[in-house]
Amino acid sequence: MSLSTATFQPQVRDALAAYLIAVADDELIIGHRHSEWTGFAPDIESDVALSSIAQEEIGHARLFYERACDLTGGDADHVAFGRASAEFRNAVLTERPNGDWGYSMVRLFLYDRADHVRLDVLASGALRPLADLASTVRREEKYHLMFGEQWLRRLASATEASRGRMQQALDRAWPEALGMFDPVPGQEELDADIVPVPLAEQLLQWRLGVIGVLESVGLRLPAGKAEWTRGRIGRHSDDLGTLLDEMTSVWRSDPLAKW
Amino acid sequence: MPRLAELLGKSDADAARLFAVFRQDTKNDAHVHVGDVHATDAEMALVLAKEQFTRRDACVNLWVAPYSKIAATSYDDAALFEHATDKSYRFGGSYREQQRITRPKRK
Repeated sequence: MSLSTATFQPQVRDALAAYLIAVADDELIIGHRHSEWTGFAPDIESDVALSSIAQEEIGHARLFYERACDLTGGDADHVAFGRASAEFRNAVLTERPNGDWGYSMVRLFLYDRADHVRLDVLASGALRPLADLASTVRREEKYHLMFGEQWLRRLASATEASRGRMQQALDRAWPEALGMFDPVPGQEELDADIVPVPLAEQLLQWRLGVIGVLESVGLRLPAGKAEWTRGRIGRHSDDLGTLLDEMTSVWRSDPLAKW
Repeated sequence: MPRLAELLGKSDADAARLFAVFRQDTKNDAHVHVGDVHATDAEMALVLAKEQFTRRDACVNLWVAPYSKIAATSYDDAALFEHATDKSYRFGGSYREQQRITRPKRK
């Protein structure tokens, strides 16, 4: 599934590498946040399930980093652990602390719906190695969608108190979820062969899907977008720095070690 | 016929939230009880059972059933299952087909 044999114009190659890094960063950072629930989830079954989801997201991140490294050189571990906060391209949504279980489930739902739209688009592209990778990853994402939606439905319709907290969680997550569809630098170079559906149209598809679920459980759609957050161009909250300090501490203690 | 929940000393509410999980390894296998999950309803029980019981080995199908709906015999009735006289004529052990079916599966 390597991309190295394909030949690209330099500006297309750079844009594609940036795009793959953005996808990988989303998966790595949200995977790390999910993993922080291990041992702390509200019941043992969900603890195991979310821990599996965390492992899978980080596994997907590795695959996308490797494809990016096909284009730019370097190795996946180095890209994942060796960069500063401003070099990360993940959406700000993914780096926020877990907060309560309600926020984590709202975020998981919004995130995985967006990821699913993105993977559908990549899987339909003409660049074979990337399309194959997307359809492989998509198989595991189906379960993530089920898990997030089932939790969302139950918490939003259990009691007045739980519904209120889910609405608050949605109000917080929604503006930053829109950032999933921001372009990476050079995105316009990724023509219809590679990313066959424009981001604006992906955003519409995603909105339509999530609104259907949110309305069916009585949650109101918040307005607006968080203007200052631009994860795709490296403008992050301090939360990412804190996360990276912890996530990379072992790797940084000896970057040349073989694991 | 007592309900399983009563045998286990569980309240109706607890038993309705405890689901027995049955997994089927291939379409040719029977569903086998592999454990339980706690869940508010059957749909959630399936979602949780998928990770508890298939995260290592894949399977083709899962069932869940709430303990509150399972009828059971009582352990006090164990004598019900004991044979008072020789029943070996029921085994059919000398038939080749029977031997094939009961032979332990090689894994």
